[in-house]
Amino acid sequence: MKTINSIFIVDDDPITVFGIRKMLDRTVEFNTISTYGNGKLALDGIIKVLKNEKAIPEVIFLDINMPIMDGWQFLEEFIVLPIEGKVRINIVTSSIDPADYEKWEHYNDKSHHLITFNTKPIKGSQIAAITKHAE
Amino acid sequence: MATVFLNKKLEVVYASDLWVKEFEFTNGKVIGENISDLIQTISKDLKNDLKDCLKGNFGIGVKECLNEKDGPKKWTEWTNVPWYDEKENIIGVIVQTENINQKINNEPNSERLQLLLKEKSSNANIGSWQFDAELNTLWWCDMTKNLHEVPADFIPDLDTGIEFYKDGYSRNTISMLVYRAMNEGIPYKEKLQIVTAKGNEKWIIATGKPIYKNDKYIGLVGTFQDINEQELINRKTNENELLLRTLIDSLPLNVFVKDLDSRKILVNKSELNFLGLKHESEALGKTDFDFLNKKNALIGREEDIKVMENGIPMLKKETTNIKKDGTKTSFLTSKIPLKGANGKITGLVGISLDISDLKNKEEELRNLINVTSLQNKKLVNFAHIVSHNLRSHTANFSMLLEFLVSEKDEEEKQNLINMLVEASDHLLETLNNLNEVVVINTNVNLKKQNISLTKNIKSVEKNLSEFLKNNNAKVINTIEADVKIKAIPAYLDNILMNFFTNAIMYKSPERDPVIKLSSTRENGYTILSITDNGLGIDLKKYGDKLFGMYKTFHNNADAKGIGLFLTKNQVEAMNGKITTSSVVGKGTTFNIHFNEDN
Repeated sequence: MKTINSIFIVDDDPITVFGIRKMLDRTVEFNTISTYGNGKLALDGIIKVLKNEKAIPEVIFLDINMPIMDGWQFLEEFIVLPIEGKVRINIVTSSIDPADYEKWEHYNDKSHHLITFNTKPIKGSQIAAITKHAE
Repeated sequence: MATVFLNKKLEVVYASDLWVKEFEFTNGKVIGENISDLIQTISKDLKNDLKDCLKGNFGIGVKECLNEKDGPKKWTEWTNVPWYDEKENIIGVIVQTENINQKINNEPNSERLQLLLKEKSSNANIGSWQFDAELNTLWWCDMTKNLHEVPADFIPDLDTGIEFYKDGYSRNTISMLVYRAMNEGIPYKEKLQIVTAKGNEKWIIATGKPIYKNDKYIGLVGTFQDINEQELINRKTNENELLLRTLIDSLPLNVFVKDLDSRKILVNKSELNFLGLKHESEALGKTDFDFLNKKNALIGREEDIKVMENGIPMLKKETTNIKKDGTKTSFLTSKIPLKGANGKITGLVGISLDISDLKNKEEELRNLINVTSLQNKKLVNFAHIVSHNLRSHTANFSMLLEFLVSEKDEEEKQNLINMLVEASDHLLETLNNLNEVVVINTNVNLKKQNISLTKNIKSVEKNLSEFLKNNNAKVINTIEADVKIKAIPAYLDNILMNFFTNAIMYKSPERDPVIKLSSTRENGYTILSITDNGLGIDLKKYGDKLFGMYKTFHNNADAKGIGLFLTKNQVEAMNGKITTSSVVGKGTTFNIHFNEDN
């Protein structure tokens, strides 16, 4: 398994962040994990990375319901950033609302990045499969 | 017989050769000349008699002395009879003159009358008759016999003559008229009905006048005119008019006819009722500007002009007419151009159906749909909340338990248990909040009360006085003391409390908070406006989430995203609404609409 250089976790719920981290620690080889409490903070982080010409994250775990800037608003801004490579974005949400599913389809069609839709809770058995380089 | 026909101006229309010869006009123009120009010595009496004739009075046996210059005196006797057209209008005078200088005969000359009347009857369906009182004989001309549908050899007498009149009104009337003409010398002219020998009913005009010889009554002379056709047409027209009138007055529609200047020239009962008038005459000649408000009348006039100029009907247009007293009526109006006999447009016919009831029903239905869709929206919203907020906690349980099952390290186990407790507390809190929403939306027992806005604001201010003071907050209240709203007191308290604390919590770090309160009334709502000078919020970005559950927009640790959500639910539970305007960095205004209905 290839080592993942950088992983972002964007979620305002500390328990979810804890869970995802724990599962990644167990199953995936990576260099860094950064966590952000909402979309705005994550976006600022990525813009900073881009400016400093550092490595952008290869995998992003993205929650939908967050204060200030939610997951959809984050995606809206993220997909227009000048990122040539393909980033894997795993939406992780508690929502089973079909409206959210439709929104995911919308952004997946619009973007060259790989966007997946995952319902909480994420199982340990799933985590390795969704933490891979987007091809 | 010397005969001349004069028109209404007493100009000669026709003159018989004998007449021309007798008055020695052989070398001059006669036709078209005025009688008083032709006979310059004509007496005033004769002229008056001719003029009288134009009013329908006979002039029989008028003696006139024609004074030829230096010649011998020449006496003529004039018989002047009104000249009727077929519609009973007098169009001139028929004059018969006789040279009585040469007359030695004393006998009443019935022959000349007969001749005169025969001539007359050729004009229209006018017959003549004469009654000789001395001989007690009645003479009918051929036309009169024709009109009675009797054979040419029929010999009438006064009694049979009268018996031809229809039993009842007609016969009674003629009997009386003839009696009065004989005994009192009163001429008559009356529209009556006869029944002919063949049994046909006919409308006629009967005239009669006594004649005298040397001041002695010698009989009656008169005419007999068939007006059956016109009368039947008149009656038919009247009947049709009555039918039409009954029809348009009974229609549950407003019907009106307007002329080119949009003046009403016909209105039916429904339209009169709408205008609040009793008689058609009050509406005739008037326009919409006399009854409707100016804007309304202008629109109506524009429609009229369009229809009358283009000749294209306006069909089933929905209009709302506002009368001068402000009452509104909704109509479905059609305007159809009205064309005269020459094909030119002379006005329009309007037909309006009052659809006010229908519109009201429609409005009710729309309100009902609004309520239903609002409820549905709330339901969807609630489903969304459940999906997001309840599931997130249970998902955490599930995840943490999965870790716990396989965890060997005791310390980590304790850590996981602590997190489970935390997740459980959050779930409980969320359930409490959701329960509150359900209570707000289902509590029908809480009744709205008429309460003073200022009083409640004062009490909230008092409760928050410590908090306001600590933040250097200033409250400016410009609401009149007597403003009352219909609200559930507990909800109003909570709403005010929320907006006050929000204004402080999201104050600008650059200035002390100022909260301004004002109120207005609009469309059945009393609107409370609460303006702060705080951080403001980008409504383009967050507008649709502002009142959502667990939505927070500022980096404020105390923000839970529940206050505005509950407030909105409470306002909506009282059939109100909240509108917002905000400028980032300047402040926010919340307009809380309190419904004035219960």
